[in-house]
Amino acid sequence: MATRTLPLSKRGFNFETFMWAFTRFTVIAMYGLIIVGILGTLGLSLQTGANFGDILYWAFFPNAAENPLGQIWMTILAKLMVIAFVLSACGHGVHGVLEILDDYFTSALARRWSRNFIITYAVIASLIAMYVIWTK
Amino acid sequence: MGLKRNVSLSAALGYKGQAPYLTYILHRIGGSALFIFFTIYILSLVGVQAANGILANWVFQIIFLPFMLFHAINGLRITILDLSPKLIEHFRTAINIEWVAYIVVVLFALFVILRNAFGG
Repeated sequence: MATRTLPLSKRGFNFETFMWAFTRFTVIAMYGLIIVGILGTLGLSLQTGANFGDILYWAFFPNAAENPLGQIWMTILAKLMVIAFVLSACGHGVHGVLEILDDYFTSALARRWSRNFIITYAVIASLIAMYVIWTK
Repeated sequence: MGLKRNVSLSAALGYKGQAPYLTYILHRIGGSALFIFFTIYILSLVGVQAANGILANWVFQIIFLPFMLFHAINGLRITILDLSPKLIEHFRTAINIEWVAYIVVVLFALFVILRNAFGG
């Protein structure tokens, strides 16, 4: 297979190109946050002697009521990282789910309503997640 | 994009697209699994006890985690190939490497889940 022949500058910047780039950059952001999270977990495991798996688990489930290591992780930085991860995941997921739905909903009306539903869902879920993560 | 799908589901399932098609389908299944996981995660954050129970259930983890891990690892391959067009000609090698990495990671994940589930 030959390499790509059309450079990005000549492809134009329409909605699909924007969403392609958005999906790629949000996933890179997620990989970055995961790597930082794992490195932070390793550091905390060294300092506290706590089980690496436990800290890693609770790092992605910041439920203060059930979090035995909450005092360590419930810092502003941890909250911001989890919020950034949730927003990246939500933005990435919206486009992915839309692509799948577009393949199975073939009428224009169904596509329009599936888009309305999934975007509304993403906005509401993100707001709930941000509120709960920040206030707990 | 056309609004009519000209391929039936049975024809799609019988399509012999080999490794690239398999990764494409598994990536979609993994994405759908992550969507379900994300919904339960939000419910868990809100404080729905049933959602906490589902997330902690080892059967749920055994079913969902392999698909979610595949989505993450396959997504990494797609991103690398997308951002490095010169590597696209080696995409079959990339898929083989991906499978090796996936099998190692998923076996470790399943081992941890089962060990925690049965208190080993």
